Amino acid sequence: MPGELSEGTCFVALTKDHLDAKSVMDRVRSPKAGAIVLFAGTTRDNFAGKPVKELQYTSYEPRALQSMLAICKSVKEKHSLTAISMMHRLGVVPIGEESILIAVSSPHRQAAWRAGEEALEECKEKVEVWKKEEFGGKEGGIWRANRDGAIGVPFDGDEADEKEVVQGPYGPVIRPSRPGEKGHGPVSHPR
Amino acid sequence: MPTLKAPAGHFTILYFASASSYTSKNNELFDTLEEKYNGMKAKVLASCLVTVNLEYVDIPEDCASEPVIKEGDEVAIIPPVSSG
Repeated sequence: MPGELSEGTCFVALTKDHLDAKSVMDRVRSPKAGAIVLFAGTTRDNFAGKPVKELQYTSYEPRALQSMLAICKSVKEKHSLTAISMMHRLGVVPIGEESILIAVSSPHRQAAWRAGEEALEECKEKVEVWKKEEFGGKEGGIWRANRDGAIGVPFDGDEADEKEVVQGPYGPVIRPSRPGEKGHGPVSHPR
Repeated sequence: MPTLKAPAGHFTILYFASASSYTSKNNELFDTLEEKYNGMKAKVLASCLVTVNLEYVDIPEDCASEPVIKEGDEVAIIPPVSSG
């Protein structure tokens, strides 16, 4: 079942229900804050011009909640936020509806703007949620990978045989990054 | 997500996104994993990370050197993520 985690003034949740902007904002509302920045990610009707019928999100929920909370704690600390909340919707999300909401509050607006953007970028890079774009017709759906970039192609592993070994955060990276790539690369076991 | 308790002598493996499309299932027992692994490796697993009991581990180059999976563990194949 989708769930939630919180620690201090950090709150994260995964839900199959509609996302409600006001409730996410109310999670971070505080008399100490002079600004709340809310980001709402909504589902687009096309991918690089190709019509998308609907999007479907799946997640490794307990792992994703931990990653979301770790990101929120780190962003809150870095920007001295008052509070932060992050909610992601799972299951089928019809076109035009919110799939993610992030709200941050801080004493002054500059920190809130920056922190909101950073929290979203970190989420897209790390949180264990997967988006499937359904195109309709015979073609079926494609599991998207954020690291392929906004106009990238569906991921396949065919470049894994390039032998340039670079140390990444999780061990040697066994293929080079693609342009615009932000996510984790593959790792190999050190001998 | 249903939490499945592995039977004695087994562990649970979870596939998501491209990893689940390839295997057509979300849970699979160890005795069929190795055979599936070879087919999946270039197409899917080369780009995946692995967690054991929710913590990320290095991906071994072959199953024989797998040192970390114990009976009852929950192993997950983590493809490149796409939230947002």
